[in-house]
Amino acid sequence: MGAVALAEQVPIPASADRQQFEQMVEEHLNGLFGAALRMTRNRTNAEDLLQETFLRAWRSFHTFRPGTNARAWLYRILMNAYIDNYRKATREPEVVDQDDVDEFYLYSKVQESDQYRRAGNPEEAFLQTLMDADVKAALESLPEAFRAVVMLADIDGFSYKEIAEILSIPIGTVMSRLHRGRKQLQVALWEYARRARYVDGARPQPPESRSKDRPSAGEGRR
Amino acid sequence: MSELDCEQVLEMVWEYLDGEIDEVQYRGIHTHIEKCGDCGPRYEFQRKLMALVERKCQEGPIPADLKQRLFQLLKE
Ligand SMILES: [Zn+2]
Repeated sequence: MGAVALAEQVPIPASADRQQFEQMVEEHLNGLFGAALRMTRNRTNAEDLLQETFLRAWRSFHTFRPGTNARAWLYRILMNAYIDNYRKATREPEVVDQDDVDEFYLYSKVQESDQYRRAGNPEEAFLQTLMDADVKAALESLPEAFRAVVMLADIDGFSYKEIAEILSIPIGTVMSRLHRGRKQLQVALWEYARRARYVDGARPQPPESRSKDRPSAGEGRR
Repeated sequence: MSELDCEQVLEMVWEYLDGEIDEVQYRGIHTHIEKCGDCGPRYEFQRKLMALVERKCQEGPIPADLKQRLFQLLKE
């Protein structure tokens, strides 16, 4: 045992430790808060989850190796806390089978839509109609296993490898969930856009009935 | 080295967007997308869609009182 081992045994004052922890966590709090909101879909639960994450991280801070990926380490704690506290006792069905849906579902739908074709640049026209609330709601509608990977990849910008570590699943599983999650997200986005009446849908109304085309107008009225 | 066909390109479009493919494949896909009238617009749409999802799903910063409460926990 040399000087290095001896130096390691010198206890660090708790206040210095706490300062280090605060610095490390502070940088990632906004991201963690957003992730907590997206996973719990509820403000109160998100705050509780964040608090639990914060305390767990503090308690296991001594196991964190400086210089390693602090952000992924914190997200891993958050996802574990989520699983322990919020995941439904009965597991959600993994997925409505969307294997018949292709990777370019939304692109095809937009191309097929009379309304968007009339706009000249259908893709651009569609993207511009999407509201923040629709996109958030579409993401939140995904089953949690898919929501988690899509969120981590597309909003938090983690790599496949980091996501695999955060969720303790193989990279192949990350990739397949991401593929299927993004397909489902596209289906959900199309549905939200339709429901918000931005899109005339697969069966366009004849022009003369358009003026009566209100959400409250039931089929029976015709 | 054989050129990629549309099916191969479209199959890898997510990995390409995610920056999760090696450089040789990256260059092959890049070249194909630039000149292909089928794959090009599809790729562009997916790219814009994902950028939009990222932008629209951002939450504001953590509320100051919540942050304060968290750091207070360390002092107890
Ligand atoms: Zn092509």
